[in-house]
Amino acid sequence: MFSGGLTACFWPIILVLCLSRNTNILPVAEAIWLTIPSSGTKCVSEEIQSNVVVLADYYVIDENNPDQIPTISARVTSPFGNNLHHNENATHGQFAFTTSESGNYIACFWKDGSHKQDSELTLGIDWKIGIAAKDWDSVAKKEKIEGVELVLRRLQGIVEAIRGNLVYLKDREADMREVSEITNARVAWFSIASLGVCIAVSVLQIWYLKRYFVKKKLI
Amino acid sequence: MMEKRRGKMWALALMCFLLLNWVADVSSLSVTVTDVECVYEYVLYEGDTISGNFVVVDHDIFWTSDHPGIDFVVTSPGGNTVHSLKGTSGDKFEFKAPRSGMYKFCFHNAYSTPETVAFYIHIGHIPSDHDLAKDEHLNPINVKIAKLREALESVTAEQKYLKARDTRHRHTNESTRKRVIGYTVGEYLLLVAASVLQVFYIRRLFSKSVAYNRV
Repeated sequence: MFSGGLTACFWPIILVLCLSRNTNILPVAEAIWLTIPSSGTKCVSEEIQSNVVVLADYYVIDENNPDQIPTISARVTSPFGNNLHHNENATHGQFAFTTSESGNYIACFWKDGSHKQDSELTLGIDWKIGIAAKDWDSVAKKEKIEGVELVLRRLQGIVEAIRGNLVYLKDREADMREVSEITNARVAWFSIASLGVCIAVSVLQIWYLKRYFVKKKLI
Repeated sequence: MMEKRRGKMWALALMCFLLLNWVADVSSLSVTVTDVECVYEYVLYEGDTISGNFVVVDHDIFWTSDHPGIDFVVTSPGGNTVHSLKGTSGDKFEFKAPRSGMYKFCFHNAYSTPETVAFYIHIGHIPSDHDLAKDEHLNPINVKIAKLREALESVTAEQKYLKARDTRHRHTNESTRKRVIGYTVGEYLLLVAASVLQVFYIRRLFSKSVAYNRV
């Protein structure tokens, strides 16, 4: 009876493990895969506003020779050029930071010098920002909620993030509209000014030529 | 005690099931496409809805005209093309995965100028009636919650698309603003230069060194 209960407890975990892609490489979070060329760097970037949590996980995938997995180097830079994460000669790594300025955050990966074969490398990246990076397990433990209530709490978090995004988009659109209005006004004023320049230049021409002809005693 | 253990198992199964449901959601990443850039994503179940969008956020173009666009091709694990879009500057896509496996999402750039593409791919799974019948721990409420979650996900995807398009429009606006000032200053300088050249030419016509009685 005891062993039966134990196996019944473990079957969901076995199910999760069986459905994961590669059981010999962890972690098994779902992510996108990129190919890193044999020479040169591959960079991914995202434009992130300030005060947002960024959580990322990267790992090299090589099914050909699991004993000698090629290593890569990674660097993450902030929009002002600060180095947020730097890793050399690693097969996996992770970084987490909270953005202090809004702009383009770039994560670059390149192959290490010791493995300069001509083959391309596959790299898995699990990149999460904002509400997706929230640690729901700790929230569940702290507030002692589970099951449907935890799910609904997650949905509420997503809805709040949607509202925050909407406000942000509205502000950006307002900024852009200002720039458009200024450009529109400038085009109008510069066209009128060009007419003024034209008239002024031609008046100057006529005045100068008249003076010149009078001086040369032609008029 | 038996109920307590069963209740615990149910909760654990639900947690594991929910773990499986929260699949394949990557943030909106940007990648620079020089020739071909491919992104791979694994689809767990056949029949899952693969949705997403991409926007070409191009760099400042000052003198030349707009980039004609990039091609987007989705290849199934079997090798056939599931979805393709040609020569667009950004679009949304949604289709049902014909089978499970590793899908390849490729961006092709036919021209030499590198372009930055911001993309977002989401793979959503809603448990069907077949899953409900197979697994006694699943409730119809799980289906409803999954549908709700997918609906919220589509709103988030739309917002990411709008944000990427806003970035593209911002670049166009900035480029237009710079060009307005550049062209106007150039126009004024050309006007002044043309009129000065006119004056010099007329002076030359009347000068004594050139044919005396020509004018």
